[in-house]
Amino acid sequence: MLQLLKIEWLKIKKYPAFWWMLGIVALTYPGINYMLQNFYERAINKKDMVGNVAKLLLGNPFAFPDAWHSVAYFSSYFVMVPALLIIMLMGNEYTYKTSRQNIIDGWSRTQFIHAKIIDVAIISCIVTISFTIVAAVFGIIYSDSVRITRWAEELQYIPLFFLQTFAQLSWAFLFAFILRRAFIALGIFLFYSLVIENIIKTYFKVKDWSVREFLPFEISNRLLPIPNFFGKFDASSNEAYKKTLTEINWHVLYTLILTSAIWWLCYYMNKKRDL
Amino acid sequence: MESVLALHNISKRYGPIQALNDVSFEVPEGSVFGILGPNGSGKTTMLSIILDILRPNTGNFSWFGVLGGSPDCRKKIGSLLETPNFYHYLSAVDNLNITQAISGRGTPADIDAVLEIVNLTQRKKSKFSTYSLGMKQRLAIAAAFLGNPKVLVLDEPTNGLDPVGIAEIRRLIKELAARGVTIIMASHLLDEVEKVCTHVAILKKGILLTAGAVDEVLVNEDIVELSSSDIDLLENVLQDYPLKTNIKKEGNILHLFFPVGTANLENINQFCFEKGVTLNMLLYKKKSLETKFLELTSATNN
Repeated sequence: MLQLLKIEWLKIKKYPAFWWMLGIVALTYPGINYMLQNFYERAINKKDMVGNVAKLLLGNPFAFPDAWHSVAYFSSYFVMVPALLIIMLMGNEYTYKTSRQNIIDGWSRTQFIHAKIIDVAIISCIVTISFTIVAAVFGIIYSDSVRITRWAEELQYIPLFFLQTFAQLSWAFLFAFILRRAFIALGIFLFYSLVIENIIKTYFKVKDWSVREFLPFEISNRLLPIPNFFGKFDASSNEAYKKTLTEINWHVLYTLILTSAIWWLCYYMNKKRDL
Repeated sequence: MESVLALHNISKRYGPIQALNDVSFEVPEGSVFGILGPNGSGKTTMLSIILDILRPNTGNFSWFGVLGGSPDCRKKIGSLLETPNFYHYLSAVDNLNITQAISGRGTPADIDAVLEIVNLTQRKKSKFSTYSLGMKQRLAIAAAFLGNPKVLVLDEPTNGLDPVGIAEIRRLIKELAARGVTIIMASHLLDEVEKVCTHVAILKKGILLTAGAVDEVLVNEDIVELSSSDIDLLENVLQDYPLKTNIKKEGNILHLFFPVGTANLENINQFCFEKGVTLNMLLYKKKSLETKFLELTSATNN
């Protein structure tokens, strides 16, 4: 396994698109959170009653311990950046037929899929580390002396962020693996995850069908629910928020099952099909 | 001699196209085994099957006696299949590092040695994408040679090489064969196979026409070429010559065919002279692979 990791890391670290991805992540994660933090500051700094009440009730969502959750949620919108990299890495393997060469040189077909799981895990780890650094910096900057002592309270959002990223990148991998063409895979991946699933989700919501929580991306999206900024104003939305938090554990299970199914499918197809 | 590779009744179909049809043969240890066939005859499909890239519809194969081969079997084989397959953004050295890490063949130190053999030392740190076609092919050959494998599978190894490169690769293949390396080589260049191979298999439209030692496949008759100033008279005279199986006229030259080992140049010369025809050319000719190949492949057209 260590050997596979070494080989895959060599392939990734010398790939220019990997450094581009890291650069974009390093800009977008702090960027989007800084923007929203500014938006929040402006809202509570109004000298009227609403601003004061808001400040009193909301606290700062970018201070500890909420920073872990808030930064995770907003950063997770940019999963398409590492997804693009995963699709390009896999697309290259097919375009340049290196996927064949790896087998010819002596990997088993199972080892090839192991190596791809390692790819997705490496990228997920790197993205999670980036998120963790950004969340920690925001937490340190925006916490007062009391809040800073609560830094360790919501650390579970780090593994949750990792799991969500790994699950969604596994989808990206599956698209590239089945379609074998990077651009087609990327197009379908973005179109499905950003457009189609949202339309279906909204339709199910209007119909009030709870099955919407089991849509492919929604299953893992619910690992990082929308932070409860303004919900604190009214009791009913606060209740709803608490409910989504308790459902996270179930979604961890669903995500693990779905992600395992994706990789099992990849193993199965790779064993049977012509490469 | 023990066989390194054995194919048993391999068939492969792509939709309506029968790419391989019930192909069986064995590759003896230490042989240089040429697989011949026109474009689209199934050579690459066959090599892809024995390297586990394609799944046969029926039949099986064994490497070193292991049914279906195994990843460990493949690690012992240096292979070049169809096109050079490398990571375009990595250098020659990094690409070979990956080959070395996966196959376990050779050591990182051997990488420089094989790059020297194929004359890529100067460009070893350049990205693969900047290479010319010939350089890419040479890197693929380097990857196949890495760690001195006992078996080589080479699909059109001289593709894209210049004449000097082609001669170098032929020399290398002969050297390796002399050291006892088993080489399985597909090619549509008959001349190439004829110059280096000890064994040959001929494929056409997925059907194995013949397979065996080059001498057995090629020499199944003697051919004598002869000529005189009056070619028509010579042809008439030779109609009565005993033992011959056939006469063919090609311009000013006659080809006289005999069963193996029965052509006798002195007797022919004397026979013609006695009949009043003086020869201005007489020579014994081994059948060329090209002749045999065209004969075999055109026979199946009918």
